[in-house]
Amino acid sequence: MSSLSSVEMGSTKQSVASVKWARRREVAREVLQNPLTVIGLVIILLFLLMAIFAPLLTEANQPDPYQSPRDWANIDSPPGVAGHVLGTDSQGGDLLYGVIWGSRLSLQLSLTVVISTLVIGTIIGSLAAMRGGRLDNFLMRVVDVFLSIPELIFALAIAAVLGPSFRNIILALVAVFWVKYARIIRGEIIRVKQAEYVAAARVVGDSTWNIYRKDVLPNAVTPLIVQATLDMGNVVLIGATLSFIGLAQAGLTEWGALVSAGQSGLLAGHWWVSTFAGLAIVLWALAFNLVGDGLRDVLDPKTEGR
Amino acid sequence: MPDQEPLIKVEDLSVRFHSSKGVAHAVDHVSFEIFPSETLALVGETGCGKSVTARSIIRLVPEPPGEYASGRVLLKNDDSTFTDVLAAPMKQVRAIRGDRISMIFQDPGKALNPALTVGRQLAEVFGEHRASVILGDAGIGGAKAGALVRRIAQQRAGALSRGAYSLVSRKKSIALQKSIDDLVIRALADTGIPNPRKIMNSYPHELSGGMKQRVMIAQALACDPDLLIADEPTTALDVTIQARILELIHQMQQRRGTAILYITHDLSLVREFADRVAVMYAGRIVETGPAREVLASPQHPYTQGLLAAIPRSQTPRGELAAIPGSVPHLIDPPAQCHFASRCQWAAPACSRDVPRLLSLSPKREVACLRFEQAADRSSAPEDMPIRAEFERKMTS
Amino acid sequence: MIPSPSSVATDYDMASGAVVTLNDVKVHYPVKEGILQRVTGQVRAVDGVDLTITRGKTMGLVGESGCGKTTLGRVIAGLVSPTSGDLWLDLNPEQQAEIQRLRALSPSAMTVAEREIWKKLEANHRLGSMSREKQRKYRRNCQVVFQDAFSSLNPRQLVREIVGRPLRVHKEASGEELDRRVIELLERVGLGAQHMLRYPHQFSGGQRQRISIARALALNPEFVILDEPTSALDVSVQAQILNLLVELQKDLGLTYLFITHDLGVVQHMSDQIAVMYLGQIAEYGPTDQVFNSPLHPYSRILRDSNPTLEGEVAGSKWELSGTVPNPINPPRGCRLHPRCPVATASCGWSVDDLLFTVEDRTPALYETISGVERASDFQAQVMFESDDAAGEFANTAGQLGALVASDQALSVDGKSVTLRFPEVSDAALLPMSPGRWTSCTRTQTMGKLPPS
Repeated sequence: MSSLSSVEMGSTKQSVASVKWARRREVAREVLQNPLTVIGLVIILLFLLMAIFAPLLTEANQPDPYQSPRDWANIDSPPGVAGHVLGTDSQGGDLLYGVIWGSRLSLQLSLTVVISTLVIGTIIGSLAAMRGGRLDNFLMRVVDVFLSIPELIFALAIAAVLGPSFRNIILALVAVFWVKYARIIRGEIIRVKQAEYVAAARVVGDSTWNIYRKDVLPNAVTPLIVQATLDMGNVVLIGATLSFIGLAQAGLTEWGALVSAGQSGLLAGHWWVSTFAGLAIVLWALAFNLVGDGLRDVLDPKTEGR
Repeated sequence: MPDQEPLIKVEDLSVRFHSSKGVAHAVDHVSFEIFPSETLALVGETGCGKSVTARSIIRLVPEPPGEYASGRVLLKNDDSTFTDVLAAPMKQVRAIRGDRISMIFQDPGKALNPALTVGRQLAEVFGEHRASVILGDAGIGGAKAGALVRRIAQQRAGALSRGAYSLVSRKKSIALQKSIDDLVIRALADTGIPNPRKIMNSYPHELSGGMKQRVMIAQALACDPDLLIADEPTTALDVTIQARILELIHQMQQRRGTAILYITHDLSLVREFADRVAVMYAGRIVETGPAREVLASPQHPYTQGLLAAIPRSQTPRGELAAIPGSVPHLIDPPAQCHFASRCQWAAPACSRDVPRLLSLSPKREVACLRFEQAADRSSAPEDMPIRAEFERKMTS
Repeated sequence: MIPSPSSVATDYDMASGAVVTLNDVKVHYPVKEGILQRVTGQVRAVDGVDLTITRGKTMGLVGESGCGKTTLGRVIAGLVSPTSGDLWLDLNPEQQAEIQRLRALSPSAMTVAEREIWKKLEANHRLGSMSREKQRKYRRNCQVVFQDAFSSLNPRQLVREIVGRPLRVHKEASGEELDRRVIELLERVGLGAQHMLRYPHQFSGGQRQRISIARALALNPEFVILDEPTSALDVSVQAQILNLLVELQKDLGLTYLFITHDLGVVQHMSDQIAVMYLGQIAEYGPTDQVFNSPLHPYSRILRDSNPTLEGEVAGSKWELSGTVPNPINPPRGCRLHPRCPVATASCGWSVDDLLFTVEDRTPALYETISGVERASDFQAQVMFESDDAAGEFANTAGQLGALVASDQALSVDGKSVTLRFPEVSDAALLPMSPGRWTSCTRTQTMGKLPPS
């Protein structure tokens, strides 16, 4: 004898969805309680808007919008002079333009790298953890080799070999960063596999794939989310370092390249180029770190301060 | 129990915890006494406040999120004055901890430092509280030597640190080390550990659960405290080991006259090892008395329910008396009897007033409104007014 | 080694048939060491268990940590494959007897007809030989309720998904029908439709265990394994859950395997009890008999160690000495002998056993040993530093129950002690009377528990 009428029963499907959304809203609310996290989110939002509306904010340069328009009449001009809000560099490139369009590149860089490494790392880490045995051993030894090389040096080497271009920086970073995720998800899956609800699902007779999909992955994914958020910031940092060294195309409106371009001017007292570009990098990384920390505090109860 | 001054007097203790969901009244106006050399059991289920109460006695509750909202914990000194542990300066409290009041915990694996050998952890206790004994045994005097003992006790392994002791000659620091080691070995041997020297140099993870618990007992009793607080010391152990550990604690108590505050949820252990028992529910004490008496004839409905719920061989299967409902949450609780919603004798008054602990007889106390209303408080529970009659009485 | 018929446990009062029968089940985990991960030993989690679980009854499996009861439960549930041994399903008494008889014969001694019978029995009843379909059917018919209700429910799933999952996996219901069945199950365990759309963390321990039970009942199983179902619960909640389990057993005709370390609970809930120690069954029989007149020292020790609310224990209290031995290299003969209060020389002492025990209990004495010459695992000559040490060793050995100096097994000669223990094989579970089995060799010879 059921105690729900058939009308109420029919709406269970919607209720399931609404309950799940209610929970997500609750989590979001908890995340937003931390003022630092909110600050981080605001900064990210501003950058996002900047990136999306770049063509509206400034006139896109032709033929390549990622090269600053050069005002040869006003090279090395300080901020606020001759219509250049943030000044120009030693080639007359407008810094404001560089920062705005650079945000697009940063977004492209971080999203591409993080999503790719998440996917690759998850697949490999999951294979290793779910299969175990020799496959696990082999894959983890590969991961160990990768991890024994410092990230920056490794990325540098790859990018140098592939040739200086923004695309190659992305490739280099993907090649280096995936191992971190593989390690994390492998550790989490091994931990989750021992939980009794996984054993319960096996007793019920569910297939390994279903168990992976419904029991293992959802419970293993939290540290990945936190790490991915933090990496959105870190990737840009490292990417900026690589283009600072010169591994991107010349004159690219990438923040790191801008910092590099302004480096020589520092001694002459032209502080604005490196500073504003560097500030953009710092703010971007900081924002994602704040959000990542905020997420971790909420999602991972183990790190609750006591 | 002979009439004597209590060793510990807990008076009107209230402990609250602040969380995002509100203020939880974990311990609510609790008062009791512990007499020298007796074993008092503090019994209750999860969330009743027994652990918090125990920790309050040595002021171990983290403040925030905890808060000692009211009350005093009075420890009797040798000169018959009392020290309020909750009000004393922390330096004094730290001197009391380990020396006059000691504590052992449920999971010895978590209570022992995994990075230190057993010997070093015990040495720390001695270095802290028994510096003069160590110095005396080693034949060293002087004020600076006291600090030296502490340093040596905490840095047993370092040859480097020994080289740094320019205060005294190397020969003396070896003598001090030996003095400390002797104390440690004696403490370990006292708990029945057969090869103390080997255990002294082992790390906690190399020992079994029962052995770790013995080490913890050795550490707790190292300085002959007046009171040992044992917070569920055997819950994590197997039944056969549990029996031996409790025997050990009992024996050491006989030898040294230590009082024991025994926190547990297991009533059968209370029967075997406790002199007196205090039953807690939802942050309050609901019944106290001599252990066997309370278990044989419980007066409070909760105690009765608890005893009836324990599976025994005679109880027909499927007929365990289960207390209906569940424990109310303790956040901003209403001022009433917390057990009323689950009590078969509950009357309207029970949802309005907070029952106080009343004496039914010189040794028995109960906190239940029925008894306040009953003319003769020494009646057996079966003679107490049943619900309908009680309601009539309360509302008339 | 082919076991004799009497070494296989059967329950003579199982007129209703056996849901599961285990024959000599072993679960060994290899121990790998070194860079190349060489196998250096085996952890004998379960080491030769014979068990019969009668339909409609509750079998209690008791033991302390490390005894293998959880592993055994998982073998029966199908989560762990046994390293060796057989699991038979749904045998009636005739089939049980037949299997015992045939097991005793070596393959060459069987007639063609007998081989046919054996094959048929295997195909229909032996897990591992049955068709996949039949195996799936068993898996559905045998469900598990785990201990920690907090970790046995997926924290990311709603109750509806958790309880409805078995139905979905086996494609028994979906949509509205699924909802209806889930509500039915929830109501049966004392919850309601309003709980369907909540997460596990929103429930109390007792309620979560109810959800766990509801999930176990979803496929209408015959047989439910309960692995410490109330160990993490308060006494008052435990009472509710135990009552519920009894009610369900009556209403649905369930068979239970109740695994626990709590003697009070197991005594209350079980019809029969199997006591496990170090991977083997020490004693087995009807609950009351095992508790009131135990036939194995370990059962007696468990009972004596267990604090009770009523009465005092008759006779002296037996105690277990020393610590649990290494499951990689368990003692020979009866595994309890190094710690048993009534052990004797023929209980399985080997040279290593004695030396290890002496080292553990009286290390000072152990250090006076200057050399050991082994002739075999059971015979050796132990040299000491002095005559006194040798004599003390002989005394200690006697106190440990290993032997008395006047025994053939030990002789002192100046500074050396010669040990000649009888070679014993592993203790076997033998019936003392129908339905009462013990593996204590002394009880088997004396007919009852040896006195302290």
